[in-house]
Formats: sequence, C-alpha cells, structure tokens
Amino acid sequence: MASFFATYDFLLVSMVLAAVLALTLYLPLMAGQLSVASPGFYALGGYIAAIMSTKIFPPGPGLYPVSLVLLEMAVAAVVSGALGLAVGVPALRLRGIFLALATIAFVQILGVVALNLQITGGAVGIFGIPQPFANPIEYMWLAVPLLLVSMLFVARLERTRTGRALVALREDELAAAAMGVNPTYHKVLAFTTSAVLAGAVGAVSAHFINTWNSRQGTFDTSVNLMAFVLVGGSRTFVGPVVGGLVLTALPEALRGLAGVDVLPGWLASFLRDGRLIIFGVLIAIGTVFFPHGLITPGLLRRLGRGRARAR
Amino acid sequence: MSVAPAAAPGAPAVSGADLLVVDAVTCQFGGVTAVNAVSFAVGRGELFGLIGPNGAGKTTLFNLITGLTAPGGGHLRFRGEDITGLPPHRVAERGIARTFQNVRLFGELSALDNVMIARHVRTRSGLVGGVLGLGAARREERETRERATALLDLVGLADRPEERARNFAYGDQRRLEIARALALEPELLLLDEPAAGMNAGEKRALSDLIRSVRARLSLTVLLIEHYVPLVMNLCDRIAVLNFGQLIALGPPALVQKHPAVVEAYLGDGA
Repeated sequence: MASFFATYDFLLVSMVLAAVLALTLYLPLMAGQLSVASPGFYALGGYIAAIMSTKIFPPGPGLYPVSLVLLEMAVAAVVSGALGLAVGVPALRLRGIFLALATIAFVQILGVVALNLQITGGAVGIFGIPQPFANPIEYMWLAVPLLLVSMLFVARLERTRTGRALVALREDELAAAAMGVNPTYHKVLAFTTSAVLAGAVGAVSAHFINTWNSRQGTFDTSVNLMAFVLVGGSRTFVGPVVGGLVLTALPEALRGLAGVDVLPGWLASFLRDGRLIIFGVLIAIGTVFFPHGLITPGLLRRLGRGRARAR
Repeated sequence: MSVAPAAAPGAPAVSGADLLVVDAVTCQFGGVTAVNAVSFAVGRGELFGLIGPNGAGKTTLFNLITGLTAPGGGHLRFRGEDITGLPPHRVAERGIARTFQNVRLFGELSALDNVMIARHVRTRSGLVGGVLGLGAARREERETRERATALLDLVGLADRPEERARNFAYGDQRRLEIARALALEPELLLLDEPAAGMNAGEKRALSDLIRSVRARLSLTVLLIEHYVPLVMNLCDRIAVLNFGQLIALGPPALVQKHPAVVEAYLGDGA
C-alpha cells in the first residue's frame, strides 16, 4: 500500500484537484451556462500563490508553513471572485455557444497577459515555489478537504432556494423568470462562485506543481474539464467529481495496461501512445450515447433504492 | 358595463377597484401589429375572460403584461403602479403569476420542486444561509415544502410529488402549472388556455378549481380560453380581441350577442 501511494502520489493528488476543478465547470452549468472560464481563474489563483510565496513571504529554511498556503488560497479565492464578478456581469448577457466562446477568449487573454507581465515571470514563469510538505502525497491534506467541502457545498446548494433557482434557469429560463427568478443575478452568482473555487484550486496547484507559467490553465484545461463533466455527468455534482477522478487516472491506467506481457506488441504500443485517441473516442461516444453523462440523477436514485432494499 | 366599440378604445375609467389597467397598449412584430392600442381594466376580484380567434393577440397581451415582451406603446398599471417595461421577474415579484399556453414546466424536475421554485419571491434565504442550513433558512425550507405540498393537494396531484413533471399527463401538467403559479401567492393570476387538451369532465373540474381558488385566495383571474362554454359560465366579464384590436367588452351574455363578435367568429355571413 505504501509503495502504491509512493508510486502514484502525484497522480492521486492530481485526480482530487481535477475533481474540484470539474465542479467549477459544473456550477455555472447548474444554471444552464456553459462557461469554460475556470482555467483562467485557476491560472490566476496559481500566480497569486506563486507570487505570494516566492516574493512576499520569501521562503526560509525548512518547510513552507501550511497556514500561509491557506492564506494564499483565501486571497486567490477573493481576487478570482472579484474578477469573476467583473467578467460575469457583461459576459453572462451572452447565451449558449457565445458565452462559451467569450469565456475561451477570457482564458486566452489571461494567458497572453501572464506571458507578457514581469511579475508573472513572462514565458519562464515562476519556479521554485516552496513546498509545505516533504512528500507530494501529503498534499492530500489540502486537496481532499477542499474536494469534500466543495462537494458538500454543491450537494447542499441543490436543495436550497438559490440552487433551485439555478436549476430552474437551466430547465427553462423564461418560465423561471416568470416565476420571479432574476436570471442575471443567479447566473453571475454561479459564475462567481465557480471563480472563487477555481482560484483556490490554483493556489494549491501552484505549490503542488512547484512551477507556474502560462501553460497552466489554458484552453487545453478547458477541454479536459468539459470532458470530465460531459463524460461524468452534467445533471448531478457526483458526475463531474467521478469524471475528474476517473479521466485523470485513465491515461495512467492505460499505460499500466500496456505493460501486461500477454498483449500483442501493436496493442501495447497503442495503449501506451494512443491514449489521447482513446480519450477522445470516449468523449465522443459518451456524449452521443449518454448525453447527460454516465452518472445521472436517475442512476443515483436507482442506486439509493437498491441500497435501501438491501438494508 | 358598456360594450366598447372597436373604433374608440379610449382611456379606461381608472377607479380604485381596478387591479390591472391596460392603457392603449400596442405591440408590433415587424410589420404585424399583434396588439393594437388595447385598453381595458380588470377589477379586483374579477374573473375576466379574454377570447378571440387564433392570432388575435391574446397570448401576446399576456406576454406584455408579464414583461416577457416589451410594449411598443401604451402603459400597464398594476395596483396603481406603472409596470410597463419591467423585466419578468420584477413583474412576478409584484404579484402577477401566469401559466403558459404550451405548458412550460421544469420537465426534468419533480412536481414538488416545480412548485417550490415558484416560492422564490416569497422566500428570502441566500446562498450562504441556505448552504449552511442556518436556523432561519431551514425553517423557511420546511415551510416552502409544506406550502408546495398543500398546493399539489389543492390541484389534486398530492399523490405523486416526486414524479418528474414531464411524466405527467397533459391535463395534469396544466394543473401542476396552476399550482406552480399559485405558489407565488399572486394577486393576479393569468391562465393561458388552461382547459386545452382536457376532456369534458376535466374541464368541469377545472372550472370548479378556478372558482374555488379564486374565492379561497381572493384572487383576480385573467383567463384566455377557446372553449366558449367554460368562459361564458365562469367569467364576470369578457374582452374579445380580433386582429389585435379590442372589439367587445362586457358581461358574457352581452358579448355573445355583439355583432362584431359574431362576425369575428363566424365571418360576415355573406
């Protein structure tokens, strides 16, 4: 077991962080808004943590204090939330594919800005971000609580007045407005909440990855997050979490599968080198045959009923 | 109770008893005038019918009143307040609820959730209080659920609160939509063809339901309906629209005999 954690420490933490990021895409989607802006806020949060830990609190000898990481997360969350509000108010006037395009543009703009600013280290980025833990696996102490808190938050949200208003907008914006739900307010609220969470994840990731540059939180991340949500499921928060965990682990699992001796050589090399193809095919199949993703509210209900019967 | 001639829409007499005043409201889509300088006033507690041939502008008038469409001219007053051009959620806040001609429920959600959503403007809890489950938010949530359940009971759907809205039969969906509209605690309820797709027995039951909720909740009801017997024995007054114009207004017995109405429905018999 210990060797499993030692071998896959990086992967395990990445999986958990990916699950939280998937939730940042799910939040606006609850209100029916396809926004892929969260990689932008993720990148911003990372830069905030990187700058704070390397320039404002210069690292002393020994491990970097975890309390400062928590402070960075808080700052990243607040700044991302403020930017989310500023971007969300105009952007959420757009609908459907236009909102998606605008948020892609937002991510690109942030990337270009980061590439050209002095404080973000230009193309090189910021490296040597101090480590609060001796061992990568210990990042679980930050990642797992962050995931649990955000899952609890979204799970609770789905059963509140605000959550119902978001879902009503997704189902039928016009009818929701006629029932007294303010569409703009609730869309911006979901978007801003997503930005807050993405910023916090970015702050943890910057320490975890050790370097932060303009290749973090790009359009590639947007596509990955979309895959997490589309394959995992877009109608319950469990979907994106499972999607994030599983699809992050999938390339490694395929690599492991390729190492099995009995496989013919061509198949082994396909599993090893063709994982991006397999990934893409999965996304395509998933969206065609499971438009609401693999994990749907109906599936969860059936599972719940099965468990109740077993008891 | 005069029968307004088509040529003189004129300003309606604004009295303290008028809940909704439609004042020379006009709406154009491209070159088509869907609603042409229509004026009338609905008194507090009245059951007011709106009839007319297809394309007469009835639903457009509902959309204008509820803010889904902005009028090109004229004014709308509700409880004496000018509500012209307010967005739909602001109109709803002021106490106007509606149903839709082509049922617009939240199909993937349960019947209970559909009704609970419409408690939005009558409840207060915000994001933080709701998620943390603070005392006030929790009380409010329980109360919302109780009220929604009571409304499902009122329209006769209490036996299937967890069923998804789109799984209900058409007539049941219409009644669910009424329950959802009532959850807003409206003062004015707009029903857009509530009897469409119902059989004779269901239509009778619907008439009884409308009468009883109006009495019990002291509602004012504005009703679009094609099924003439329902309108005739339910409504206190009826307005008749044809090609966007108000051609008659008055109690059912008078409107029924009005020559312009006969002509609009039957052609000029040449």
